[in-house]
Amino acid sequence: MERQIINKRKRVFSLQPNKNPKALFARRYVSHLVPALKKINMKKSSSKTNHPSFEKTVKHEVDMAFALSAQEFAWSRFLLQKLLSSVHDDPVRTSSSPSEILERSSKKQGGGKHQDRDEEEGGEIKKRLKELQKLLPGGEEMNMEEILSEIGSYIVCLELQMIVLKSIVQDNIS
Amino acid sequence: MGGESNEGEMGFKHGDDESGGIPRVGITSMPLYAKADPFFSSADWDPVVNAAGGFSSSHYHPSMAMDNPGMSCFSHYQPGSGSGFAADMPASLLPYGDCGGGQIGHFLGSDKKGERLIRAGESSHEDHHQVSDDAVLGASPIGKRRLPEAESQWNKKAVEEFQEDPQRGSDQSQKKHKNDQSKETVNKESSQSEEAPKENYIHMRARRGQATNSHSLAERVRREKISERMRLLQELVPGCNKITGKAVMLDEIINYVQSLQQQVEFLSMKLATVNPEINIDIDRILAKDLLQSRDRNTPTLGLNPFSGFQGTIPNLSTTTNPQYNPLPQTTLESELQNLYQMGFVSNPTTMSSFSPNGRLKPEL
Repeated sequence: MERQIINKRKRVFSLQPNKNPKALFARRYVSHLVPALKKINMKKSSSKTNHPSFEKTVKHEVDMAFALSAQEFAWSRFLLQKLLSSVHDDPVRTSSSPSEILERSSKKQGGGKHQDRDEEEGGEIKKRLKELQKLLPGGEEMNMEEILSEIGSYIVCLELQMIVLKSIVQDNIS
Repeated sequence: MGGESNEGEMGFKHGDDESGGIPRVGITSMPLYAKADPFFSSADWDPVVNAAGGFSSSHYHPSMAMDNPGMSCFSHYQPGSGSGFAADMPASLLPYGDCGGGQIGHFLGSDKKGERLIRAGESSHEDHHQVSDDAVLGASPIGKRRLPEAESQWNKKAVEEFQEDPQRGSDQSQKKHKNDQSKETVNKESSQSEEAPKENYIHMRARRGQATNSHSLAERVRREKISERMRLLQELVPGCNKITGKAVMLDEIINYVQSLQQQVEFLSMKLATVNPEINIDIDRILAKDLLQSRDRNTPTLGLNPFSGFQGTIPNLSTTTNPQYNPLPQTTLESELQNLYQMGFVSNPTTMSSFSPNGRLKPEL
């Protein structure tokens, strides 16, 4: 019975992991992150790095792995640009990048017919859209529809990243 | 990881229509997004089919149900209380009853109403205003031509055509969905769309009694697209099934993204502290990931992955840890244990019964 179970398991795992996009992302992510972390590890053991910069380096590598693993999406390209350009400065925190007011989205709101109602809603929604723009890398250059499209993939990739990071951390703690 | 073909996996095979004779409807959006689509497809996702070569996604069907259990890891996120917000949403956010069943919405999702693909080669939906201005002039002779025919078929409806800029299509070539509020059959619409197969037109149909000038139609198309996306996002963000209203929904999304980002930062800081003893077990990580995105076709996937896993992905293990913790205390492992004890029964409801805290008690 055990053997059957084991055989079944083996057979099950021959499903094509390469076709599964989430597995793809996770695999890429891990493949980017792990070697980078190992490098950091080695550097750390060889030279003495002070704590804050070490954390920043790790964070930078985490972000890089994230951006590199999801090249299909616009936000990942933006993120990559940001990271590469800021590689000499402090690593960019994804959650706190200043945004510019995007005029396009404000033009699109309020078709002119239902102006009163739309403007109220438009104002509220605009506010939130601006918030969202700040959160999403590259959000400043997107209009509303693009943001909505990209935010979905961003969310999924963030979740996957969390899974990977959690398992890495847990594996190393336990 | 050699041999991965991005195009085949993440993109859509144009013209590779595997859906065959099965009537499928759906919506596609930009290829950027279309590539993102596999991420979000639920098992019910129906690919868009169209004459010029639709996006084929049945290829991805079996392997892409992203279950709600995946959300259970994100225990920190608490959706705020969403008070109803009366918004002007032409297609209001439908409460998705089956969301708890383990289906995450997808961005090219099949709406239950059956939204339809318009035509191939359609390009972006942006700048409707500008486009429609041009289109009205250009389309009016054409519109008049079509109108008698249209009027013969539908009395109080009008057909508008929008000419899209093929240039924009190159950036985000999209297929628009027709106005699905008109309940006319697909046949009529497709027959009409076949009349101008080479033109990049969108056929919009106005609802009864609604203004039919191009501006408002364009607006409506845009609004419906936005509401469609919001619906999909609603399925993605946990706890948003009952929220109606764009603003509240956006709030939820913002909160969720913020919490996810904070968690990632926290984890990366933690990673920095545990870094010295790094001993990453890729197999385990990937097993978890595969488990999360497992499809219905592999019911036995919910098993202890460690025994079988090494055999199939040998090239990925950077550090093989021969001593696996037999049952690490994560939600997935407990879920595995659960399924194992239940005798390999495919039980998506079990999977979906994750509490937000994530601990699934094995049911003995």
